[in-house]
Amino acid sequence: MTREEVYETLNGVFQDVFDDESIEVNDETTSDDIEDWDSLEHINLIAAVEQEFGVKFNMGQVVSMKNVGEMVDIILSQID
Amino acid sequence: MSITSFYFLIFYALVLFVYYIVPKKGQWVILLLASILYYLFSDNGFLIFYPLAAVLVCHAGVRRMVRIRERAEKAEAQKRCRRTLIGVIAVNVGALFLLKYINFGINTVNGIASLFREGELLHGLNWLVPLGISYYSLTLIGYVADVYFEIARPLKNPGKTALYGMFFPCMLSGPILRFREDAEQLFEPHPFDYVQVTRGMQRMLWGFFKVLVISERMGKIVDTVYGSYAQYPGLYIWLGTVAFAFQLYTNFSGGMDISLGIAQTFGLKLPENFERPFFSRTISEYWRRWHITLGVWMKEYVFYPILRSALFAKLGKKLRARFGKKMGKQLTTFAGMFLLWFAVGVWHGGDWKYVIGSGLLHWAYIVCGELLEPVYAKGMAKLGIDPKAKWVDRLRMLRTFFLVNIGFVFFRADSVGAACAMLKEAVSVFNPGILIDGSIFTLGLDWIEFTIAVVSLLMLLAVSLQQEKGPVRERIGKKSLPVRWIIWYALLFYVILLGNYGPGYTAAEFIYQGF
Repeated sequence: MTREEVYETLNGVFQDVFDDESIEVNDETTSDDIEDWDSLEHINLIAAVEQEFGVKFNMGQVVSMKNVGEMVDIILSQID
Repeated sequence: MSITSFYFLIFYALVLFVYYIVPKKGQWVILLLASILYYLFSDNGFLIFYPLAAVLVCHAGVRRMVRIRERAEKAEAQKRCRRTLIGVIAVNVGALFLLKYINFGINTVNGIASLFREGELLHGLNWLVPLGISYYSLTLIGYVADVYFEIARPLKNPGKTALYGMFFPCMLSGPILRFREDAEQLFEPHPFDYVQVTRGMQRMLWGFFKVLVISERMGKIVDTVYGSYAQYPGLYIWLGTVAFAFQLYTNFSGGMDISLGIAQTFGLKLPENFERPFFSRTISEYWRRWHITLGVWMKEYVFYPILRSALFAKLGKKLRARFGKKMGKQLTTFAGMFLLWFAVGVWHGGDWKYVIGSGLLHWAYIVCGELLEPVYAKGMAKLGIDPKAKWVDRLRMLRTFFLVNIGFVFFRADSVGAACAMLKEAVSVFNPGILIDGSIFTLGLDWIEFTIAVVSLLMLLAVSLQQEKGPVRERIGKKSLPVRWIIWYALLFYVILLGNYGPGYTAAEFIYQGF
């Protein structure tokens, strides 16, 4: 899977979790950019991403992830 | 040795003195020795083998993880570290349950059995519970979990693990520490800093004010009303409950002021446990401002793992298919929250009154709040009310305080049955006359004592309102010397003259010490 393909799927996951069809994420997107992205939604998002890509984040990654770019890095490192 | 006792103050002064004269590298050893001595001097000090065993189990677990990761390949290491983590948690939680909650299970079984037969099916056990077990267990489990998640530095020295787990200001009633945020400073050198030491002592003084002047007085009203509620119905019960809210708040948060103040005099910054919770507008906000470190711990180590578990992923899928995306997600979260609040309730004590009063009742509040939010919004829009208006916020605060107080009735009453009976008495008798006919002076405080209590509560309110605007001690620190001295000496003499100490200068027990 290429980075672009990951983003394509990831956009769908974000749109689904935050219930907003207009969301488009990129490397620099953070929780400040999406209104409903609080700590609870973060966990819901992580669970949804894990299910969609068949990956597993550890709790350290969950709490230290700074932006969507880092999330994609972790996804790519696990599906390659 | 209560932290409001005279002996404790002498002990603390000695530790502080030695802490700043030894070489900086050895400061943490002084804190460790002080923590061990503090434990040995407390009631049933011989029970120190419990926290020491917990420390050793956690330390051994962490070192094992380090060795596994050095030798085994990644997937295998992960599996074996996971087993180690589960083992460590099982030992700690097992000890906690055996010591604190076994009677909860036995009483519940007996309660159910009594429906079918007479007499006790199982006999209750009367084990001594070591000081601080509810706090050091969580503090240590969090550390091992963070090492497992690779977000905490594994310690090599078991002495340092012991200091982190048993740091004496946290032993009585927290705060529950988080390794990756609070631990490293314990082992770092701290040169003497006059400002930190005086600010810490000022904070301790404010804590003594809350505990000795307010909490003790509120406690007298509470004991009178809750001791014979049939005699004190209606408004008395509401008064007694509000008094309990302030008794508990000033006792627990005052104890925290003393603990955090002590730590500050050592140059350490422990996490805050209270942010003026009675100003909260919603129950969720209340739990972000009341016993903060417990909430954070529960969220991180109970709630999030539950939500991310395979079981919940399955449940979420099913609920979304059945109830639609939004409702399905909400219901999954509510189910996770149910377990979270059950755990919070059980943590407070092995009794259904705690499980309900500071657990499931709050869960129900939050669920109702979330479900009713759209209804509220619609209603306010229809009536043309601005939801951001100040007076609406004030009403929300009152509503939240009221709801929290219903929980406190369960928390303080002898049993769930007694709490229900009290709530019934509270609404079935209408007696506002007691406010003006002098009856309130029969609740354990005469009019002088009552006046002192009210004036002190007003002082607390005034300071709390100032704290909402920013740190108060810092602002006082910027005032001219005479003003500063007048403020702090006035408070000191106020506490010395009006503090209620029992025999041997010890305040009544810290309420949260029992948890």
